[in-house]
Formats: sequence, structure tokens, C-alpha cells
Amino acid sequence: MLRRLPYRVQIPLGLSLAVLLAAVLVTAITARVQAQNARRDTLALLDRAVVLVIAQVRPLLAADDTWRVFSLLRDTVQLVPGADANLARLAILSPDGAVFAASDPVQLETGRPVLGQRWREKALASAVNTERRALLGLDDGSVVLIDPIRSEDGQTLGFVFTEVDAAAFAPDWASLARTALIGIVLAVTLLVPLGWWVGKRMARPVGRLAEVIERIGRDDPGVLRADVPKTSDPELSRIGDAVAQLMGELERRKAAEERALSAERLAAVGKMTGAVAHEINNPLAGLLTATQTLRLHGGTEAIRVRTIDLLDRGLQQIRTTVAALLPQARIEDRPLEPGDLEDIVTLVQGVADKQRADIHFQVEVESALRVPSAPLRQVMLNLLLNALKAAGDHGTVSAHLQADETQVRFCIRNTGPVLTEDRFRRTLTAEGGKDPRGFGLWVCQELASHLRGRFELDATESAQTCLLFEVPNREAPEGLT
Amino acid sequence: MQRRHWLAASVCGLASAAAVPGWAADRLRIGLTPVILADQVAFLSRWGRYLASRVGIEVEFVARESYQSILDLLFSGQIDAAWICGYPFVRFENELNLLAVPLYQGQPFYQAYLIRPKVAGAEVQGWADLKGRVLAYSDPLSNSGWLVAQAQLAKAGVPVRELKRGFFTHGHRNVAEAVAARLAQAGSIDGYVWETMRSQGMPAIAKTEVVWRSEPFGFPPLVTRKGPEHPHMESLRLALLRMSDDKVGRELLASLNLSGFTPGQQVLFDSIRRQAQQVPGSGVGG
Repeated sequence: MLRRLPYRVQIPLGLSLAVLLAAVLVTAITARVQAQNARRDTLALLDRAVVLVIAQVRPLLAADDTWRVFSLLRDTVQLVPGADANLARLAILSPDGAVFAASDPVQLETGRPVLGQRWREKALASAVNTERRALLGLDDGSVVLIDPIRSEDGQTLGFVFTEVDAAAFAPDWASLARTALIGIVLAVTLLVPLGWWVGKRMARPVGRLAEVIERIGRDDPGVLRADVPKTSDPELSRIGDAVAQLMGELERRKAAEERALSAERLAAVGKMTGAVAHEINNPLAGLLTATQTLRLHGGTEAIRVRTIDLLDRGLQQIRTTVAALLPQARIEDRPLEPGDLEDIVTLVQGVADKQRADIHFQVEVESALRVPSAPLRQVMLNLLLNALKAAGDHGTVSAHLQADETQVRFCIRNTGPVLTEDRFRRTLTAEGGKDPRGFGLWVCQELASHLRGRFELDATESAQTCLLFEVPNREAPEGLT
Repeated sequence: MQRRHWLAASVCGLASAAAVPGWAADRLRIGLTPVILADQVAFLSRWGRYLASRVGIEVEFVARESYQSILDLLFSGQIDAAWICGYPFVRFENELNLLAVPLYQGQPFYQAYLIRPKVAGAEVQGWADLKGRVLAYSDPLSNSGWLVAQAQLAKAGVPVRELKRGFFTHGHRNVAEAVAARLAQAGSIDGYVWETMRSQGMPAIAKTEVVWRSEPFGFPPLVTRKGPEHPHMESLRLALLRMSDDKVGRELLASLNLSGFTPGQQVLFDSIRRQAQQVPGSGVGG
């Protein structure tokens, strides 16, 4: 609760509470000391009062003057603490131990026998046996003193009976509380405005620091650094230094972030460039082979037409791939045709021949194909090239395009080392991140994702590596061309 | 001058009732006893100035706690007049002249009271209940504060020795205070003093109550010693008798709770005389 308050309230409040606590403690300690001293002081005072009474009462006893003895006791008892509250009383006892006169005749009525009788459950010695002072401590803390009064020749003229109730020895709580209260009021009256002023003075640099911290990120750090308050207070000075250091760190971090962002942009551009180069490079080898075929066998009409169609479709694929990178380009893509797989196989045949590898392919299309040709051709081309690479020299690659009403599947196997699921995932992750050279599999995964399909390693095949690309047999979602 | 006069009186006349007059012609000295509440210095000063303006010489008051002290001063010639009780007047009437008798409620009479503490279940209902109890007197030469008590105790069949204790308080006012403080269970007091204390609202009176009232007695008189009088004594008598005639005098009388002064006759004190004759050791013969 207190901590939620501002310093200019906390400090005077805290000071006032401290004063209050100190006053309570001082009052309690004073009361304890007073209680200890009060008994000793009261008994010492009683001694002096008794001496005074004995000196004054002798001639009065000799004159048998009850009234004057009463007057003497009535006046003298006022010296004893607590007498005004009827907590102390004096009496003169006759030689036989009866009350001659008392300061409080109601409690000690004239003529009442005292010595040799029980007094508040305690037995008092008889007059004959009381030759010197008798001090009687009662169970409740009260004290009874009996002092003999002697004549000059040693004759007992009577006794001084003194009784002080326990309450007379108790601390004067009301007086102590009143004194403490006055002290508290004076201290609080002084400390509240002083504390408010000190709190305000203390809180000022803290407020300015908070203001500077709030402006971090919005204002120029140079300006903010100048606004950090300079103070001689070591704690606030540390906070100010920390704020300045924080601003320096933020500046450095911001610069690092900008550098990182720039590098990331460059990397993205590089990655995109690599991907585009990869996708363009893949059909290029086949197209160059086709131009070679055209140059050698272009005289034959059938070969020439077929080769030109192949070149046309290959270039259309490249065009479609490049167009995908241009937001303003909108090129209508044709649906996949069953002959596209043969086209792709023809394009990669040159690579296979170099490895002396065999390519087998099979097309099972039971329904009309509605999937776009460019991404599917791209996938088939990538997977065939990857499979040839994985199969190695003299290896065999099998491609199977299958389609029904709902799905279009392209499954490709190779006789190379079996690709494990773990390595397949690592390869996908690596290609998606730091390895721009293997974009084939990553592009296949991205296209499968975009076409709402899947691209995965067929776990049921254990003898060969079998990659499965499967997408719904429907037109491409909006945005893919 | 005054000191020399006192010294001469002490040496020459203390023990003699027929002392040589020691008065000074330029001053009148009047002795006061606790028959009145005469411990107010300012009032006595005002009264003295008032009488002096009428008498023509300085008038001063001399107060003592006991009646005997005032009588000693009077008989030794150290004072010229004294306001004493009716009992010492009848006891020493052969040696005293009446100067004036105060009028209380228009009459030269007053009553003695028996008072007790005003507490629930007070046991003292009258003189007969004082056996085994503590009784406060005023003065051994007081009618209401001793003589009446002796006579009434005897009449009630309570010998003084059967009191638990009896003591003198040296003044009627102190009797009231002793009873109020319950130092004594009863007190024999001047009714005029008790009533005056009550009219002045003194706290002790609120704690006491009257159990018994006596027959009327002659009011405590102002007296002079027989023999040569002070030359201005007659002027003093006239001043006293005429106090009720002027406003200042009436104010002073009101302060005393009196209505005036009268020359008085010895017969006023017959009832005291008769009572004293019945009390053994009273000093008043039959």
C-alpha cells in the first residue's frame, strides 16, 4: 500500500510512522523505568514523610490533640504519590495500637485497633512487639510501614502507620501518553511538510529518469542522454548511468538489427536468385539436347516437329517459372497432360545417358487432369534429376504418374542408397535454410504445400528410396501461376 | 510601642484578672474567638476601617484559636474587648462587662447543634447513641462546643468516659470538618456557625447533617474587662449598635450573617448559666 504512494507522501508518512513508533517505544521504556523508580522513590519519600510526621506529632500526642494530628496527617499525606487518588494514607496509632487519627478516617476510623490485628489478610505484630520499623509487603504489591514514635527518653508515644496501594507505584500512563502525544504532534507538524519537501526533492530526479526511460525508442538517444539528470546521490547516479548504458546498448542493438536485416535481405535475394537459376537450369540441359537433336535430325519432319514441341513446352515452363517471380505477370497455365511426364523424361534423358542410368516411367491417368502443368512439370523434373543423382552411375530410376478423380500422384524410386526419414527431413530443412544448391526437394515441398497436397518419403518402401508427391486433382489455388 | 505594651502586660498582668490597663489611647484592639468565621483577613481589615471611621481611632482585630488565649489577652490588658462565648462570660461575669450582643436573625440568641456525617445508614440519632463513638468538641470554654454536650450526654445517660473518644478541634468550623471527614462520628457545634458555613457553601457542611438542636442560648457577646475602660470604648459600642443603620455596616453584618448588635443584658445568658451549674467542673457555681 505504502509503496504505491509517491515519495513525497511516502517520506513524511514514513517519518511520522517512525516518530510514532519511536514515541511508543520510548513511552514503553520510560514507563518500565518509571515503574522501577516509582517504587523506590515513593518509599524514599515515605521515609522522609514519616520522619517529618514523627517530629511534628510528638507534642500533639503529648497534648492528646486529635484534631491537630489529623490536620498534620491530612497535609503531610499530600506529599505521598497517589494520595490525591486516595492510594496512600497515614495514621497515628496510640501506644496500644489503635487509631488515634488518620488522614483517611473512612478507611482508618478513629479508635480502631490495628496492631496485633489482621490487616488485609496479613497479621500485624502487636504494639508491644513493634520496637522498630516494620515493613509489610502485601500480596497485591501494596506496602504497609509501621514506625514507632519514641519520646526523648525512649518511651513509645505511638506509631506512624503508612499504607501505599500498589497502584501508586504504577507508571502514570495518562501523563506519559500525553507527553508522547504532544511530542508526536509537534514532530509530525514539523516532519510532514519537511518530509513532503524532501520527498519531492528526492523524487524529482527519479521522475525525470522515468520520463527519459519512457521516451527511449521515440526520441533521439543523444537528446535523451543529455536529459538524464545529474545527481550527487550515489544510488540515483547509478540508475542514471544504467539508463545511459541501456540507451547505448539499445543503439548498438538497433544497428546490429539493421545490419542483420540487410544481410537477411541479401541472403533472401541470393536464395531466390539461386532457386530461379536452379529451376531454369534444370530444363536447360534437356532443351540444349533437343537443339542438338534438331540440328542433327531436323530434316526428318516427325523428329523436327516433336523436338520443336519439346523446345516449346520447355521454354514455356521456364517462362512460367520466371513469371511466377513477377507479381505483375499473369500467365495462364494449361492443365497437366499425360504426355508431360514423357516430355520431362526426354529432357533429363541426356543426364541419364551420361550416367548410363535407366529411366522407366509409367502413366496411369483414369480421370481428366486439372492440376496446372508448370508446377507439376517442375516437380517431376526436380524429382527425376534428384533421383538420377541419387541412383548414381548405372542406377535405375522409376517414375509413376497416377491420377484419379481426386488425387494426382507422382511417385519416383531410385536404386541408390536408401534415404532415411531423418535424413530426408534434414535435407528439406537444410535446403530451406542454408543450402541453396539442393532446391529441388525444398521447391517440391513448397509446391505441395501450396497445392494443398503432400510431399514425403514413402516409409513402406524399405528396399528403395521412394518419394511421393500427391496433390488434389483440381485447379491451382489463386495466386499460383 | 505595641511590643513594649505587650511585654509590660505579659510581665505585670498575665496572671492577674485586675491587670493594669495597657491600652493605648490611639488604638482599640478587639479579640476574636472561633465564635465567628473570622479568618478572612480582608473582611476584618474592612470592618476595622469601618469601626475606626466611627470611633475616631484605629481599630484592629486579634484572632486566636482558643477562647482561653483571648481571655488571657483580655485579662492581661493586651486587648481592649473580646468576642467570646456565653459560657466564659457567665463563668467570668464578675470580671467582665457586656459591650454588645450580636443579633442573629434579629434575635440575640443562637442554638447548639449535634451533627453527624451525612452518609447512608448513619447510626447516631441523638446523644444517647454516642456511647462507644467518637465525638468532636469545639473548645473547653465553648457553650455549644462543649458545655451543651456535657449537659446533654449526662441527660442521655452517657458518661463521657464511655465515649470511644472525645477531642477538641479548636473551632466550630473544625468540628464540621472533623465530622465531614468522619474523624468523629458526631460533633457538638455552634448552630450559627454551621448555618453561616452552609450559607457560604462550604464543602464540609454538605457532608454533615443536624441531628439535634438545643434551646436558644444568649448569642456569644462582645465583652470588656471590668475596671477603667478605654476612652473610646463607648464610641466603639455606639459604632457597633449603629452598624445596621448604614449601608456599609449592613454589608459587613451580612458578611457575618448577623442583623445587628444590641446592648444586651446578663439575663440573656441565664440558660447557659443554669446549664453550666449542672455540669460538674464547669467553673460556674450554683
